[in-house]
Formats: sequence, structure tokens, C-alpha cells
Amino acid sequence: MCDALRVTRFAFMKLKNIQTRSEVVTSIRAWFDAKGFTEVHTPRLVGLPGQEPHLEPFWMEVQEQGGTQKTQNVALITSPEYAMKRLLAEGMEKIYDVGPCFRNGEPWDGSHDPEFLMLEWYQKSISLSELMDQTEEMVRGVAERMRIAPSALSRSWRRMTVAEAFREYLDMDLESMLEDFDEDEFFKLFLTHIEPKLSKNQPTFLYRYPVQLASLAKPCDDDPRFAERVELYIGGLEIANGFEELTDEDEQRRRFLEEQKTRKESGKKTWPLDESFLSALPKMGPTAGIAFGVDRLVMVFTGSKSINDVIPFSARERFSNEMKD
Amino acid sequence: MSSPSEIKKGIVIKHNNDLWVVSEFQHINPGKGAAFVRTKMKNVKNGKSLDQTYKVSENIDIVPMEYRSMQYLFHDTTGHTFMDTHTYDQIVMADAEVGDDAKYLSEGLGVIVAMYDGRPVALQLPKKLTFKIIETEPAVKGDTASGNVSKEAKVDAGFVVHVPIFINQGDSVVVNTDTGAYVERA
Repeated sequence: MCDALRVTRFAFMKLKNIQTRSEVVTSIRAWFDAKGFTEVHTPRLVGLPGQEPHLEPFWMEVQEQGGTQKTQNVALITSPEYAMKRLLAEGMEKIYDVGPCFRNGEPWDGSHDPEFLMLEWYQKSISLSELMDQTEEMVRGVAERMRIAPSALSRSWRRMTVAEAFREYLDMDLESMLEDFDEDEFFKLFLTHIEPKLSKNQPTFLYRYPVQLASLAKPCDDDPRFAERVELYIGGLEIANGFEELTDEDEQRRRFLEEQKTRKESGKKTWPLDESFLSALPKMGPTAGIAFGVDRLVMVFTGSKSINDVIPFSARERFSNEMKD
Repeated sequence: MSSPSEIKKGIVIKHNNDLWVVSEFQHINPGKGAAFVRTKMKNVKNGKSLDQTYKVSENIDIVPMEYRSMQYLFHDTTGHTFMDTHTYDQIVMADAEVGDDAKYLSEGLGVIVAMYDGRPVALQLPKKLTFKIIETEPAVKGDTASGNVSKEAKVDAGFVVHVPIFINQGDSVVVNTDTGAYVERA
């Protein structure tokens, strides 16, 4: 069978999806611009990337022409969070950023790509519940503007706390786990019995996470064992992760040092804390924000099972020369 | 001991002193948590299903199997009969052991059967198989505009697969037997 025909068929599916992806990005920008947000373009290359114990930044070297300093190690961001929070501390009120983020060491099985398109936005003085309203309104707005009605969005959106999910799917009291919290045990239960059972046809917000699982989120006022963190699932895919942000510099420093310790203990690279980020936190004031996977939203909109169907070239394809060695 | 990152469909894991065949698996990186592998496993003895999630950094016991090339012969009340292509021995796998994979079996199909202790425990199909479409709606103009890029199609083996809208009745298509998904026009 001739190769030309095969290429044409590849192009048919792919080009449709890539066009949809472009319309999604345009529609996201239109929605935020209409709501009075400012798009910011934060740096992709930074000296001190996020230090989450389970995310791996890509490292490279930077050098100034004729510079007398020796080359310096810099990293590609895993999320624009630090830079955006510093802009909020400088006085910006409502900001969003759409751009690629980079994470190394992720599975290339169709759920991740080492370079993915992330939308992140922040607004001062809104609550987690208002952030959920906003997220729902934005996704609906984008679908409406594109005049599509994916089945994953057909039913009314659901909001449940993580404790409610444990009760509903496991008949278990989450509070009994909090005393001597074991993160691995939590994830095993969650990934085996809760996440796969979340409805594919009903977008679901899970919120109020155990405080140990919310490094940059503010503890809940009524119960500091939980934090103001939310995750959004659409069509069974984890789409977004948001917080009512932690603004306490000392508490943030304590959590960062703990994360750094976890990295060290598992033999991972560590680097100094970002002091300019830490000192900006108190100036930022009460804020909520969320990181949102654009590629995954495109998967929902196009009914694609793999991220490789919505990006031009898959990781395996792009890096195939290196892999043959 | 092995790492959960070696988990694949069809491998056998010793878990709580029982043997379990992996029927589905998925790598998960929650980002805010460590890397995990979510698996669905079937008990070799009683066919019972178990959902189990492993942390990538933990140790698991993957049991080495003897893999034999076999040819599918027929189905009857005892189950599915296969023949070893070297020794011509015949073995029978019960319906519960073959499970959903039965829909891909046709007379003469070459497969790999994983044997443990002289007994068949798992079936490995060719990753890609070709089937003929016997029933599907023709594409309707405007489908792609409304977001429909796929449709249902029935194949000669009797099951339904989601295909792109340009596929017509009478076309042959390649199906991924791991996922049941359409791969390309044959």
C-alpha cells in the first residue's frame, strides 16, 4: 500500500485536531481578555525552578556573549507559578499565562508529553469556590465559542471534597488517615478506587485535600488538617490543579525545606530556595489560582485517547534518533 | 525482585501467594505524588479480577513463564483449544481465562501462550490484527464541524470498533488488541 495515502490519512486526523487546539487557545485568550485579565509572558528559562519532590525539571547551560562568568546551570520551568506570584506581589490583580511547560521523566504512554501547553491564572481576593465557578465558566465559554458540545461536558458539574469521595467510593473515613498520614497509602487508595470511578460524563471538582498534599495552598480556616486545593477531572482525565494560595512566607519556607529533604533522601538533585519568591508571598495577599492542562482539554474536545493525537509530533517521534543509539 | 515499571500486559505477578495475570496497566504521575502503576489483574486459578496500584519504587515479584507458540483451533463447551506449533500438543483454556480477548480469535491465528507449571495461564495475541468492516454508517457532512471525528463500525469477527469517519463498509482496518482501538486502514 502506498505511503502517500498513509500520510494523507495521518494528516486528516492530526490536522483537524491541531486546528481544534489552535481554536482552543484563541478561545481561552478571548475569554480571559473579556474578563479583564492581563496575559503575562513569564520566562521559560529560570535559575531556580520549582522543587516539588516528584517533578523533574530539564537542566541546561546559559552563557552571555563575551561574559566573564563561567556558564551557569538553568532550568526550563515546570510551571510559571513563581514568576506569576511575584507579578501579583508587584501589584498585578488578574493575570493569565498560556505557554509550554517542561517536565522530565514522565511516562510517554499518551497521558504526558515532556513539553506540554499549560494555562495558569490567578485572581486576587477570590475564594476556592469562586475559582471553581470561574474554571467551569471558562471551559463552558470556550466550548460555546467553538460551537462544540463534547459528551464529557453534557452533565452538570459535580463538586465533592476528598473526604466525601473516600466515603462514597471506599466507605472510608479519610480523617482516620490524617493522624499518621502516609502519602503512598493515600495515593494507592485514591488511584485504585476513586480516580477510575469518577464519571466520564460529568466534570468533577475534588477539593479540600489533606494539607500534606498541598505544598503551595493555604490551610482551611475551619480545619488546618486540610488545605484549599482543588483538582478538576473531565472525561476521567486530570485537567487542572488549583489553590487558595499560601501567603505565609515562614510556612512556605518550612514546606519547601521539607520537600528539599524528600528530594535529597530519594537521591534527587536539589538547589537553593527561591528567596525572591518567598519574600514576595506576604506582599501578594489573598489570591486563588489554578494550573490547567490545555492539551488535555483538547483531548476531551476531540475525543482523543492520547496526547499524541493532539500535538504535532510525539516525544517518541521527536526523539527517535537518540533512542536508536 | 522486579520493578513495577516492568509491568506489561500478560505478565504474571505473585501477589499474596497467588498468581495474577496483568490484563490492563497504566502509568500514573500525579505530579503532587510519586509515580505509580495502576493495574488490573486476573487470578490465574479462579479468574477473579483485582485492581492493584504499585508505587514505581517498590519491589514486586514477576514470575518467569514458559512462552510457547500456539495456533488457535476451535471453541467448544470446554473452552478454547490451541495447538503447540512445535510439539502439536493441544491445550484448552477456559472461557474465563481467555476473557474479552476471545473476540479476536479466529481459526489458525498464531498466538503465544504463557505456561506455568505445565498449565496455560495467559494468552498473548499479536499486537495488531486486521478485520473487515461489515457494517457502518456513511460519513455525514458536518460531522467534523460538530466535533465527531469517529463513528462505530462492526467488523467481520462480530465486535464493534471506533473508526475515523472516512472508513467505509468493506474496508479492512488494523485493530490494536491491547486497547481495542483502531490503528489504521489496512
